[in-house]
Amino acid sequence: MEEQTLIKGTKMGVTAMRRKSLYRAVAFLAAAGLIAGACGGSDDSAPADTAEESSEEAPAEEPAVEAGDEAEGDVDTAIEEVEDTVSYGGSISVGLEAEATGLRPWEDTCSSPCYNMMAAVYDKLMEQDANGAYTPYLAESITPNEDFTVWTMTLRSGVTFHNGVDLTGQTIADMFPIQQAGAAGSSAISAANLSSVEATGDLEVTYTLSQGNSAFPASLSRAPIGMVFDPAAAAADSEGYSMAPIGTGPFVIDSRDLDNETTFVRNDNYWATDPDGNALPYLDSISFRPIPDEGTRLDALLSGTVNAMQTLRQGTIRDARAARDDDGADITLYEFQGNNVGGGMFNTAVPPFDDVRVRRALVLMNSQEQVIEALGGTGISLPGTQWFSPDSVWWSQAAADAWPKFDFEAGVETLTEYVNDPERSDGKAVGEPIDAELSCPPDPTLIAAMQVLEQAYTASGLVNVTMTNYDQQTHINNALGMDNGFIGSHQVHCWRWSDDSDPSVAINPALAPPTAEVAEAIGLPGVVSPLNFSNWFSPTAFQAAVAATKTDDFETRKGLYESIMLEFADQVPVYYSGHTATAIGTESNIVGLNSWHVPSGELGIGFPNAEGRWAEVFIAS
Amino acid sequence: MKPEFPRDRLSNVSSSVTGITDVAPKKATIREVIQAMPLRVKLASLWLLLVVFGAVYAKIDTAWFGGSLPLQNPNFQTNGFDRATGTFGTGEPIEGMSGAHWLGTDAIARDTFARLVHGGWVSLVVVVVSAACGVIIGGFLGSLVGFVRGRTETIIMATVDVILAFPALVLLLALVSIFEVRNLFVISTVIGVLSIPAYTRVARANSLAISSREFVTAARAIGTKPSKILFREVIPNVLPTLLAYAMVAAAFVVVVEGSLSFLGLSVQLPTPTWGNMINQARRDIKINVAQVVWPSLALSVTVLSLNQVGDYFQQRRAVKGSNL
Repeated sequence: MEEQTLIKGTKMGVTAMRRKSLYRAVAFLAAAGLIAGACGGSDDSAPADTAEESSEEAPAEEPAVEAGDEAEGDVDTAIEEVEDTVSYGGSISVGLEAEATGLRPWEDTCSSPCYNMMAAVYDKLMEQDANGAYTPYLAESITPNEDFTVWTMTLRSGVTFHNGVDLTGQTIADMFPIQQAGAAGSSAISAANLSSVEATGDLEVTYTLSQGNSAFPASLSRAPIGMVFDPAAAAADSEGYSMAPIGTGPFVIDSRDLDNETTFVRNDNYWATDPDGNALPYLDSISFRPIPDEGTRLDALLSGTVNAMQTLRQGTIRDARAARDDDGADITLYEFQGNNVGGGMFNTAVPPFDDVRVRRALVLMNSQEQVIEALGGTGISLPGTQWFSPDSVWWSQAAADAWPKFDFEAGVETLTEYVNDPERSDGKAVGEPIDAELSCPPDPTLIAAMQVLEQAYTASGLVNVTMTNYDQQTHINNALGMDNGFIGSHQVHCWRWSDDSDPSVAINPALAPPTAEVAEAIGLPGVVSPLNFSNWFSPTAFQAAVAATKTDDFETRKGLYESIMLEFADQVPVYYSGHTATAIGTESNIVGLNSWHVPSGELGIGFPNAEGRWAEVFIAS
Repeated sequence: MKPEFPRDRLSNVSSSVTGITDVAPKKATIREVIQAMPLRVKLASLWLLLVVFGAVYAKIDTAWFGGSLPLQNPNFQTNGFDRATGTFGTGEPIEGMSGAHWLGTDAIARDTFARLVHGGWVSLVVVVVSAACGVIIGGFLGSLVGFVRGRTETIIMATVDVILAFPALVLLLALVSIFEVRNLFVISTVIGVLSIPAYTRVARANSLAISSREFVTAARAIGTKPSKILFREVIPNVLPTLLAYAMVAAAFVVVVEGSLSFLGLSVQLPTPTWGNMINQARRDIKINVAQVVWPSLALSVTVLSLNQVGDYFQQRRAVKGSNL
């Protein structure tokens, strides 16, 4: 069985790998991902897992996996078949947290609000089903060779772009040079190790990778190289494409008024149908309005100014719940809490954070319960202990148990040991408190959480805390450190980790050598990841991350990621608050966000990170 | 060689020519000044005194008494952090008004009243520093150029015009963002420096008028040194107008500091300011609107009071000036 081949057939032990080439293979894996994921919602980073026509990855079909059950306290809205009778027609407007920087998949870095818009006009080659497995969407099938360096994909027939041009294998091949030249596309191509795309038949495409990557299908499920556009039109007018995108998606662009409203109307020639054979989409039109202020966006929904809205803030979810439960607002909340986890990092290249005792002490003083309360997430957000949420198939109980929990006295004791160490790394006199700059973007939610940490640190009497707030771009740049060899100027820095893509997407660039010096020292000159923001490097963790991209055996991969999370718990280069809760709120008669399907007829992944798929949404009578 | 006049004679001549000594009204006592105030100005003054008292009290409490005076710690959650149990206080966040917390608590259960009182200190310091910079430096420069005119006036006023041509808040944001650590000294100094051009303009306008008055002409005629005329005749007459203007300008400064705080560009947390209190409370506005209202109210009433008092003294000064 093909599926068995994919999951079990590849036996590539770490020892059999050529170590150096493996390191190079993933040094920049998903390079675009973490920056967007750091402070925003999801990103353009490439997920992973092999897939055939139907869900065939372990998450869907390996009941022996212990993780993956809904965690206590997690209230994700269920993905389930809709009971209402579908109806055609009507228009809805959706409030987004920001305007899309652009609507060109190969060029514009896309986050959660942008994905809502792009999903209306573009289709992806691959999608995730309700179990998180990758399954063909605009593709019909995709098959790798034995070492995952060549992937052969067959496209669906009869698919046309909004301008009437047919989708063929050559279309995908012609997209490649445009993607290579695009800001988002080039990063994704590099991350996926993609070296060439060739049309090997009318509807057949062959992807050749420079290094094997078992997670390649995940790359085809995100915008930069997964969303299909008309390459001829894009080459003719790249700038104009952002304002008038042409895809094969369920809706066609009608008007785009930047920072005000973008409207799409029904694509009457859309190729997809629902499981009953009804043509999609159901709606006549859908418009998106950027409403940056959280309160205003929720009010817009409650007042009927918009029919739906998205949020990535616990406080807004709390307020929306209150409006629904206490004030009787007639709304539905599609809530989701995934792998993305809030918290921050220590710059381990800078004293005193180069000493694990300091990092561990500060983590021990971190009352996650209090921080989550300050975030407005009590009863909404689960405390984080790793880069996977308790309902993820990658979740590790061992890592959860190993993560240092709030123990103030233990933290004081650990920090005292450092402070009284004559050889302390920060060069201060014995007994002097350490200095720590605690920095977050100037969001009221984050500021409140930051002050909880400050209270505990200050109360220890062992930390002189300075709190700073910089705009998000400066915050990221401080961690990136482009002016000091990617070491950064940060110390204790708010950040978000992980996402619901394949683990390799977030983990590999975060574990690769952070600086040229480190890369040189381990014999991998030039293999540097600017996205290793904490500057923490462990050869064993990095090797495990690399090995995980060379096999598609779920248990093997899970074991490798568990070993990384255990090392995180031991070395604590990062700290956590709670998992990021997201939601899409709609008027209650708007149905279908949790019941859309992939072409195989299985239910799709729903609305992760408040990214809605709008083709099967309808207005119930 | 210029004829020398005895100092005492010069002084007598000057006074007798201007006649100021003879016609100057009797200086009003503080009691008379207060009695003459309309009720709205009395109330405004009372509020300002309360703010100043509260701010100074809070500062003394922190600096000298280690927070032992009757006012809750503005930076720690209710009941503080208990090291013995290793737990945070049991206070509820975003609490309403109560006997324990007169104005409720904020998002992390800190006493809002304490933060409001402490927040006044930042506004007070910024206002005082900006007024001092404006009156001393701007007042001197304006008086000087209005008196000496010529190339000095051209250069200084051109510089002032260039600075004033920039939108004040934008310029302020640019300057403030230069500093990585933004403490009270930095913020008040930057705002103070940026206050100078406006004061210079006001001082110059008054200096021009005063410099053409008879008593200045007379002083010049009898050969008084220009520097002496500037310091004895011009600046003393410009000063009351500047002080009255300072009250009105203070209102603007309070708003500016509040804006910076709201944007997270004023003094660093956890130091409370009215602006950062508004910013932090707006997230929970649906749960407890009062947490936004209290600092907003403090800011608004203070600005209104400064305007009322400033306008009143400006009017009094205008009347006095016309009698000169």
